[in-house]
Amino acid sequence: MARSASQTTQALRDIGPDLRLPFAARLRLPLLNRFAAASGIRIPPLRLWATVSRVTRPSIIQRSFGPDFLALEGVCATELTSILDDAERLLPCAVGDAPAARVLEGKLIANLFFEDSTRTRVSFEIAARRLGAEVVNLSASGSSASKGESLVDTSRNIEAMGVDCLVVRCAISGGAALVAANVRCAVVNAGDGRHEHPTQGLLDLLTLRRHLGNLRGKRVAIVGDIANSRVARSTTHGLVALGAQVVAVGPPALVPSSWGALVSGENISISHDMDSIIGEIDAIIMLRIQTERAADRGVAPDYRFAYGLTEARRRRLRPDALILHPGPMNRGVEIDDAVADDAFSSVIFEQVSAGVAVRMAILSRVCGRR
Amino acid sequence: MSSPRALHFRGARIIDPLSQRDETGELLVVNDTIQSIAFGGRVDAPKHAEVIECAGAILCPGLIDPHVHLREPGGEAKETILTGTQSAAAGGFTTVCCMPNTSPCLDTAMSVRFVEGRAAAAASARVFVVGAATVSRKGEQLAPMASMAHAGAVAFSDDGDGIASAGMMRRVLEVCRSLDRAFMQHCQDASLSEGGLVNEGSVATRLGLAPWPRDAEEVMLERDLRLNGRLDARYHAQHLSSGGSARILREARARLGADRAHRISGEASPHHLLLTCDACEGYNTGAKMNPPLRTQWDINELKLAIADGTIDVLATDHAPHTIAEKSRDFASAPFGIIGLECALALYTKALVEDGVIDWPRLVCLLTLQPARLCGLDRRVAGIGTLTVGGVADLTLIDPQQKWTIRADAFKSKSRNCPFDGLSVRGKAILTIRAGEVLFREDPVAQPQRAAVATGS
Ligand SMILES: [Zn+2]
Ligand SMILES: [Zn+2]
Repeated sequence: MARSASQTTQALRDIGPDLRLPFAARLRLPLLNRFAAASGIRIPPLRLWATVSRVTRPSIIQRSFGPDFLALEGVCATELTSILDDAERLLPCAVGDAPAARVLEGKLIANLFFEDSTRTRVSFEIAARRLGAEVVNLSASGSSASKGESLVDTSRNIEAMGVDCLVVRCAISGGAALVAANVRCAVVNAGDGRHEHPTQGLLDLLTLRRHLGNLRGKRVAIVGDIANSRVARSTTHGLVALGAQVVAVGPPALVPSSWGALVSGENISISHDMDSIIGEIDAIIMLRIQTERAADRGVAPDYRFAYGLTEARRRRLRPDALILHPGPMNRGVEIDDAVADDAFSSVIFEQVSAGVAVRMAILSRVCGRR
Repeated sequence: MSSPRALHFRGARIIDPLSQRDETGELLVVNDTIQSIAFGGRVDAPKHAEVIECAGAILCPGLIDPHVHLREPGGEAKETILTGTQSAAAGGFTTVCCMPNTSPCLDTAMSVRFVEGRAAAAASARVFVVGAATVSRKGEQLAPMASMAHAGAVAFSDDGDGIASAGMMRRVLEVCRSLDRAFMQHCQDASLSEGGLVNEGSVATRLGLAPWPRDAEEVMLERDLRLNGRLDARYHAQHLSSGGSARILREARARLGADRAHRISGEASPHHLLLTCDACEGYNTGAKMNPPLRTQWDINELKLAIADGTIDVLATDHAPHTIAEKSRDFASAPFGIIGLECALALYTKALVEDGVIDWPRLVCLLTLQPARLCGLDRRVAGIGTLTVGGVADLTLIDPQQKWTIRADAFKSKSRNCPFDGLSVRGKAILTIRAGEVLFREDPVAQPQRAAVATGS
């Protein structure tokens, strides 16, 4: 059953006080903002001093003009669990087995995609429609749209047409935050450059939780182009918040030593030797080698030999270990055909429906009736 | 016939880096020249002299910034020679050396003369040109350095880029040696920094911004010092950001020995001594810098290097950019911040208040050292020092004055200053070039102090 509008309101109220404090504690660059305000551009909240301790950024920022969902970094376990519980309840609605409460009735959601991604866009669209929202799709991939200026310009134009929520996908790290700082409607990050892809992270968490139960103490390997992956960032933040141990696996060029600094604490580690960890993990997430981000410069031609999920390696996995892939796959590179075909065929579709469910949960949180 | 202009400074703490004196006394300027200095005593001032009661404020040679970007020609929306030098004067600088990365690039004798001409026609502080060492700063072909030096280029640099090819670097150093001009390197090995935006580390990792390792700076510095070991050119490494670079420079100077160590030098800038890469949090383009802000460890190492003399030149790397440019997303916003009007206070905060160096040393790093680096004495006798008979370029500093940095009050055309709103101490209250007042603090704006009380 989907949560009602009043439940959603309650949920927002529950997370409110925690989040308002760090938001207020953030500093702004007063002058740049004053000038930017005059020129119609708003700069995202800024921190200036090294001496100010690191402030956790809330994923859902309760502002006077609506909340945003920009990242999984800083989202606490309670909130994550609450989102995942919502998504779990919404799963039957996501696949059309049950009707969802139309909490987004009368809302207009724009999918603003500065980068092509049919799968993510369709997933957001179905999620929004199942909740009763109207959806417009704008694909603005192209040279002029890739700069931050046109990102802001386009978003403000679309917003002026009466949109309640912008689902933004762009190649710019921090692009979703830049949009959120410049529009009054809600903003959901559908992947920003190499930064985060929080709904993809949530769907990984939901799939893992459904198979492994409580994730506390579970060991999850993420293999591949970690440095350039927004999925790896979001999923790692979520897993660590839920108490799981994450090991990043890949060649040094793709898993730099600074990766360990993504989150503080002992729950994150790095391995350049896939065979040494393959037998000890509860789940393995295989990332695509993203050639379009030029990461292949640091990737040797024997990538499959060292880090591919081959038939031999799959046999060394625990029998109950779960294999995930955010897709699309490069068969014969990071994953062998046979492994992709059988072990995996059931989970990949489950991931797709989990994707719709978590997006329903997020959309009803950020722009559900209040 | 009117009597010559005269300025009579009384009760000043006079700091002269050349004679290494730091005493209360009086100083007399007649026309554009220092007429007499009386440490601990009185000067014989003519009756008509304007008396400036200094009330213990520091009187020192006019500050010299060997590294600024004035943006003219081509970038006049960001800054002009006029606004940039007004900004300099308001910060206590009587002289700036401008970098050649304008549009077109300052890589010909004609372009050097253009800037000198513009500066002569409309400028507040003095302007000297640092010419490009290679054509269009591309690192492929030598620029006509001999004719540029003849036209007035006081040093050479491809600032904005390092010279990538070791072979080209060697040729540039040879020519600089033959022309007796310093070469200033922007140490950045592009194959290591490629696409980098933020110091390699947790901030870059979390924000998903391309990392910029320290190696990019250190590798080029090592290479250059190795090449220069044989060539003995006057080599200067600009805006050092990495603690490792400070160590490399220290070792190289030790190898050269006490009498040759001054042939190589390093430069620090205020932001690399006060901010870390944490300032980039929230995709703060105001903290986007080339080279990038690094960590507290680097700050500590750079301060050690300033304390022991390894780094002996201070600059601002004043880099104006428009609000619109800095409002872009992090990756497409330009690198750099402006610094002329707050550098003195920031250096006071980073170095004097922190006990790294004292005021006489700070004055030396901001006057005599950059003057020596660029051989400015060849152009203006006595510049960077307090010398009787030398030019009367002077700055009066109130080391105690508390003020708040307000970028919207800057004379600079640009506002990209991450220190906006910061409370600081130490301010230039009077800037004099060749006996003429370029900047005098408005006593109305700062009512809590009236150090520049004038009589007669
Ligand atoms: Zn530079
Ligand atoms: Zn520069």
